Amino acid sequence: MNALGNYALFVWDFFGALRRHGVPSSRIVAEAYAIGIRSLPILLIISAFVGTNLALQGYNAFKPLGGQRLVGMFVALAGVRELAPTIAAAMVAAKAGTEMASQIAVMRLREQIDALEVMAVNPLAWLVAPRLFGILLVMPALTIIAIFTMTSSAYAVAVFQLGLNGQTFMAFAAEGVDQIDFFYGVVKALLFGVIICTVSCWYGFRAGKGPEGVGRATNGAVVTAAVACVCLNYFVSELLYGGSLP
Amino acid sequence: MPTPTAGPLAALAVLGRFSTFAGTVAWRGLRRPWFFSEVLSHMWVTSVRCLLPVVAVTLPFGMVISLQGLEIFRLFGAERLLSSLVSVAVLRELSPMLASVLVAAQGGSSVAAELGAMRIKEELDATEVMAVDSIKYHVVPRVLALTLVCPLLNVAGSVAGLTGAWFTAVVLKGESSGVFLAGLWDLTAPIDVGAGVLKTIIFGAVIGLVAAWHGFHVKGGAAGVGRAVNDTVVHSVLVFIVFNYFITSALFGAAST
Repeated sequence: MNALGNYALFVWDFFGALRRHGVPSSRIVAEAYAIGIRSLPILLIISAFVGTNLALQGYNAFKPLGGQRLVGMFVALAGVRELAPTIAAAMVAAKAGTEMASQIAVMRLREQIDALEVMAVNPLAWLVAPRLFGILLVMPALTIIAIFTMTSSAYAVAVFQLGLNGQTFMAFAAEGVDQIDFFYGVVKALLFGVIICTVSCWYGFRAGKGPEGVGRATNGAVVTAAVACVCLNYFVSELLYGGSLP
Repeated sequence: MPTPTAGPLAALAVLGRFSTFAGTVAWRGLRRPWFFSEVLSHMWVTSVRCLLPVVAVTLPFGMVISLQGLEIFRLFGAERLLSSLVSVAVLRELSPMLASVLVAAQGGSSVAAELGAMRIKEELDATEVMAVDSIKYHVVPRVLALTLVCPLLNVAGSVAGLTGAWFTAVVLKGESSGVFLAGLWDLTAPIDVGAGVLKTIIFGAVIGLVAAWHGFHVKGGAAGVGRAVNDTVVHSVLVFIVFNYFITSALFGAAST
């Protein structure tokens, strides 16, 4: 509870700093590039393998019901709506988020953050803001890439390993999702981006002293960010797909 | 021959060093003396630390599957199939995977952070100076604890996932609770729980070894510890997701028969 209040204060301070000091816009693209490129390889591999498993399990689940054709729909629905945004968020939290936390924790440790303040540079605006806008730039792209990779690998497994008909797969997949689902995926991605960035930076700023402090901050950042994203995912899905929207 | 520093050969060299390390851990772990109390205390710490994250992730995931599944099945008027499919998804895939991801993120990374901090502060060297085998005393219990705790957390995750699915279907969406519970074991059997446990034992061992390897070989001060923690999470998740495909293929992937 205390931590939650602390976090809220941190976010509040951050937006205050953002309003007063503006964003060092020259660094946004560099951060976006760093976040995107570092998270991309792992995201590709993970989403490819999640896609293969989705196809395998969907096939097995529908086999007793005689509905193997539904695999395409299952993959498209589960992958596009839920798994791709969550997996992308989890991987960005694991890769870029932990890097943010450990970089900022090390800067705290070496008193570089105090040095920034001495130079009258607001550390929140200078360190957090470019990362936030960078992550907002790349998260939607990463989510779309995850969707694409997941569906392609599921297609590959369904057609080449399980011997399903490719055209049926695609037809059912197309029936399962709408364009609006991709848009919702992007909305989720943006929300998760904000969470990952603020949580990781918050952990970095409040890191304890010494190497354990850095380790613990990094550790806490990834766990908290991932848990928060998954919990939030439920509420967003309930809102978007739960029948409360027309 | 000098060790290659770049290119595919370097990656192979890393893999080789990792295998040597894993072999050393396994070999020293098999021989006396065994530090049982260390294993137990690490198991306790790890399970306490990981339980909340695991449950906090599998519960909402179960709720989401239930939410999305209901929507599909309502198209066909087949809501009663929901619980069968949810239990397949949760028991076979989601719970083992999510529990292992969270154990990697929480338990694995804290093992890397602890061992890394001990390396930086030269506590590991101090242990060696006192004629205590640091791998045997510090590494083996941690790896063993992760290997044993991961399946336990998987079971907790399965229960939480199914509870979440039940909650959404019955309490929020007004499905019949009796139908949900009756269909739960239609497509799954207790053997599926066993398969999940088997998977998570393997995943737990992978997490433990990767974490110990990164923590044990930290270089470069506090920043190095941060990097080790980061690499632990990324690499162990990467390795066991790839493993997962092959295990799932072996267990359930019998092609179109």
